[in-house]
Amino acid sequence: MTTAAPTSRIRRRNAAAAIAPYLFVGAAAIYLLFFMVVPMARGLWFSFTDATLLNPDGGQFVGGKNYGDLLTSGAFYSSLLTTLLYTAGTVIGSLLFGTVAAVALSERIRGRAVFRALLTIPWAVPSVAAVLVFIWIFNVESGVANRATKALGIGAQGWLLDPKLGLLSVTLVSVWKVFPFVMLVVLAALQGVPGELREAARVDGADRLNVFRTVTLPHIVPTLRIVALLMTIWSIRRFEVIYLLTGGGPIDTTNTIVISVYREAFQNSQLGQAAAIGMLGLCLSMVVTVVYFLSDRSDARKDAR
Amino acid sequence: MLIVLAGFPIYWMYDTAITPRDQLFTGQPLIPDVTRTPQIFDVFTSGVPLLQWLANSSIVAFCTTFLSLLLAVLAGYGLSRYRFHGRGVVGFILFATQMLPEALLIVPLYALFAGLGLLNGLVGLVLADTAFVMPVAVWIVKSAMDSIPYEIEEAARVDGCPRFVILLRIMLPLSAPSIAAAAVIMFFDAWNEYLFASTFIQDRDKWTASVGLSSFIGEFITPLSTVFSAAIVFTIPAIVFFLLVQRHIVSGLTAGSVKG
Repeated sequence: MTTAAPTSRIRRRNAAAAIAPYLFVGAAAIYLLFFMVVPMARGLWFSFTDATLLNPDGGQFVGGKNYGDLLTSGAFYSSLLTTLLYTAGTVIGSLLFGTVAAVALSERIRGRAVFRALLTIPWAVPSVAAVLVFIWIFNVESGVANRATKALGIGAQGWLLDPKLGLLSVTLVSVWKVFPFVMLVVLAALQGVPGELREAARVDGADRLNVFRTVTLPHIVPTLRIVALLMTIWSIRRFEVIYLLTGGGPIDTTNTIVISVYREAFQNSQLGQAAAIGMLGLCLSMVVTVVYFLSDRSDARKDAR
Repeated sequence: MLIVLAGFPIYWMYDTAITPRDQLFTGQPLIPDVTRTPQIFDVFTSGVPLLQWLANSSIVAFCTTFLSLLLAVLAGYGLSRYRFHGRGVVGFILFATQMLPEALLIVPLYALFAGLGLLNGLVGLVLADTAFVMPVAVWIVKSAMDSIPYEIEEAARVDGCPRFVILLRIMLPLSAPSIAAAAVIMFFDAWNEYLFASTFIQDRDKWTASVGLSSFIGEFITPLSTVFSAAIVFTIPAIVFFLLVQRHIVSGLTAGSVKG
């Protein structure tokens, strides 16, 4: 199915046109095959063996044992729950703050460019640097977070040490880090909303909130949906921020699936088990993606009617 | 309000870097003594091999960006201008890479690089980083080229100009802003990358800056002012470049995301 016209006079040229796209795309495709698809397949194989870190390829085939062990262990389900809570918190938080910031920036206010630049910064800050400063901010004795809560009369908190707060703190840091992405994308989408429509609604007596709900929101919903999907699959696989902040603690309360893959492989050296956890986590992302595309398609059908 | 929340941690990094040690634990001032700002540069003479780490990060980031863009420009052009068998598969794989956790692939990659003798070196790091950032670059380049009218290219083709020359002479300059944005994203993804760098590289003098900085977490020997000075030096380039190209980042990303 090439775009080359069937009436082409020279056959050789036709053949060249037929292989041309493969030449262009081929290098990248082979690269991904070599460094992603094949390693992925190897990971899938590991998940059916009892391979260990010291001898990755010396594992014996154990069938579905790794998966069976996981699905009957409480630890896996609590890690799954942690992942879901973390993902939900990060997605909702970043969409909320991102959209609010974008709407605020789309108003014609003075110094808009400066505000936008300031709000973009967290996204640009390297995770490791962000984690360093947040660990200091959350420091129990001298951290500024506890100075604030003491001043407010809530008292000092063990932000990263208290099992009740660990997940919340990690989620807060993640939202801080990723909301600018939502903001920038939504801001671009807002620029596509026809100004006349908003004007018309305002003339008809709608207040700001109403204008947003009836005119602006429907326009940016498609963007919000794809951003929500990206945020979701990125949150499910996020490693650095969580691992560096808490290492999965306190008492495993921030031990998401991805963190437990790493710990199982590099602390317990159980490669097979780690790969199985990772595969199940990947299934989670795939389910989310499939659900997204199915609902997208059924919506499109509804619109078409 | 949002701006205060967004900007505070960065401000605090700066505040901590220039506050004298004894004040940090007895009530760090909310507004630091700004005349101490030049002290940030003391980090270069503090015995922390920051320059070496930054040099390593730069090498990895430059090579990753170059390799990713080379592959991405070719693939982006192919995906944008041809309809061919397997196009859907390539598109699917590109999207699927966004779901793959690094933590899952790190063991097979570790085994692969151990076999190739690429562990404990920057080359392996470049290869792994490229695999993860290149798909995003393809996506951005493709959507940038999608928005260039086909007629421009057709005129050149009628004149008998080969495809490759068209790509080089016409498509590249026209999509330059998006490619620059993609380059910045690639560069700093590799610059910031932590997981592969910390797992593949053992020698302290081959560490990238992100691994070097992370080594300060949980240790109490290095003074906090040194730690945060290093963090600032590491962070500033990323912020500057992101702000320079943010407009184009957005158009590249949204063009991609709106179309799915």
